Amino acid sequence: MSFFETYLKGWQFRANRPSLEVGSEIDVFVAESNGTSGTVYIGDTELVVDGAGAETVEKQVRVRVTEFDETTASGRGELLEVVGESSYSG
Amino acid sequence: MSDTGTDPTDQFEQPDDDGPRVEFYGGRGMSALPIGIFIVWAIVQTALWRIGDTGGLIVGILIGLIAGMFFVRGNWQSYANTIFEGMTQPVAVTAIVAWLWAGMFAQLLQDGGFVGGLVWLADTVGVGAALFPAITFVLAAVFTTGIGTGYGATVAFVGLFFPAGVLLGANPVLLFGAILSGAIFGDNLAPVSDTTIVSAVTQDADIGGVVASRFKYVIVAAIVAFLGYVAAGGAMTGLDVSAEAQAIFLEGSEAIGLIHIVSMLAVIGAAIAGRHIVEAISWGIVIAIAFNLVFGLASLGDMVMFNAPSDAPLAEPLESLPILTVVDNPDSVGVTGSLMTGVSGFLELSILVLLIIGAAQIMIRGGAFQVLLEWSIENLATNVRNAELTMVGSAALINAIITINTAAEVAIGPYISKIGERFNLNGYRRANILDGQTAALGYIFPWSGGVLAGFSAMQNLPGEYDWFEQSMVVTPIDVVPFVFQGWLLVAVFVLAALTGFGREYVIDRESEEVARV
Repeated sequence: MSFFETYLKGWQFRANRPSLEVGSEIDVFVAESNGTSGTVYIGDTELVVDGAGAETVEKQVRVRVTEFDETTASGRGELLEVVGESSYSG
Repeated sequence: MSDTGTDPTDQFEQPDDDGPRVEFYGGRGMSALPIGIFIVWAIVQTALWRIGDTGGLIVGILIGLIAGMFFVRGNWQSYANTIFEGMTQPVAVTAIVAWLWAGMFAQLLQDGGFVGGLVWLADTVGVGAALFPAITFVLAAVFTTGIGTGYGATVAFVGLFFPAGVLLGANPVLLFGAILSGAIFGDNLAPVSDTTIVSAVTQDADIGGVVASRFKYVIVAAIVAFLGYVAAGGAMTGLDVSAEAQAIFLEGSEAIGLIHIVSMLAVIGAAIAGRHIVEAISWGIVIAIAFNLVFGLASLGDMVMFNAPSDAPLAEPLESLPILTVVDNPDSVGVTGSLMTGVSGFLELSILVLLIIGAAQIMIRGGAFQVLLEWSIENLATNVRNAELTMVGSAALINAIITINTAAEVAIGPYISKIGERFNLNGYRRANILDGQTAALGYIFPWSGGVLAGFSAMQNLPGEYDWFEQSMVVTPIDVVPFVFQGWLLVAVFVLAALTGFGREYVIDRESEEVARV
């Protein structure tokens, strides 16, 4: 990204409920887990991540989006791997 | 931001899943006692008694830490160890290193006549009373953006621009507000600003990217603030000052000081290009020293001077050195000059911040932070819009309470990170929300560090100028509504949270590795 592009990035109104593309891989933080699947909030978009157990909560994980419904801004995905930590975590 | 292999993701420790490591009588909330005592102390000292002394705040946090120990259940050693654990976090050391470098750089520019050069420029362009506050706002903003310290800029501008503007017929309250607004602009945007650095580091974002991404919020607020100062400058009348003393306007103001724009641009350019902050500012320091010497702006002795007692073994034989003076008065013994002054300005703040982080770690390990988070997430941050409003409100509240805004930012940084990450807001957005409130609220209220610094500098003016009467000194409470940039910056972020302006998720763009800067 060029010097000017970094300054021009983000001059927009971003939706509360961003859309996700089925098949895409995204790196996101897991908000909570019921033990077998985790919940990821991207804004108000909700993604249930199969296989994201308690150990992934507040970690950044790579998820492949498997289902997404635009009208409810919700979907499902599968856990690929843990890729990072929270900037505030032990 | 360290090259020593420090993982920037380990800025703050969180309790392990098996429960808090330090337990308190009275529950998890009691671990907030040290910070709580400090906040009460800070409010009493700075707001009620108006003592803006960082050393006093150090005593406040120490007493808080001692008091908290008596409520620990079980082994007190874990409490002591947790203080050490907090104080050795990379976030603290990172900020302190940057302050020391930035402090030296700032002082070299000030002593090299940079502000004088700016005054000369304003005069040459022909700025009148009505426009003076607006122009002062712009120049203070440029200056602070260059040197990164809003407190230093406030002191310098109150010392130089304030009397000049009052003399020209500008309204003093508006002028003080314009200086504080300029300081907010720079404190918020400068890559070498302590608050910029802390906001980036605590949110795992690179400083160059943070500066670029926050430009949109800062400039929107600044354009409206500038228009506000133009309009108010025409509407608000100044004081009746005798015209005969106006000659002081140009006194000590020489164009050559503007050469330091090059030093400033070197630092800004290097920082934005992703160079390590220590490297970027070191280049600025080297260039500033060279310019000071080559153009005669400051001598070697002005920048560093050893004042040795006459009975020192090698003092008198080496007295001819330009950096050595033999002094008779024992009170004068010491090291002085720009480099020393620049460093010493940050020593107390460094200690204070280390201790606050120690106390914050107690709050984290003891579980109070978790209680606060759980409550906020459950009751306030119920969706992304409310989460962002909660981030704006909590950052603003903490900064409005704690005088030293960098310290407040360090304490609230992990909390902002936690709420933002829950909704996958990226590091830039989180850092910008955090620092917008930190910069703004640090310069608005009468007990804010910036306002106290400016007010203190103003106290010297009646002694410096015959025409400057005590009644011309602005009472801090009067300036509150006129710090336009501060109020507008908070308003911009409230609107940004409501509308989604500038919002970026981690899926849109991830902040780059913080160690790059």
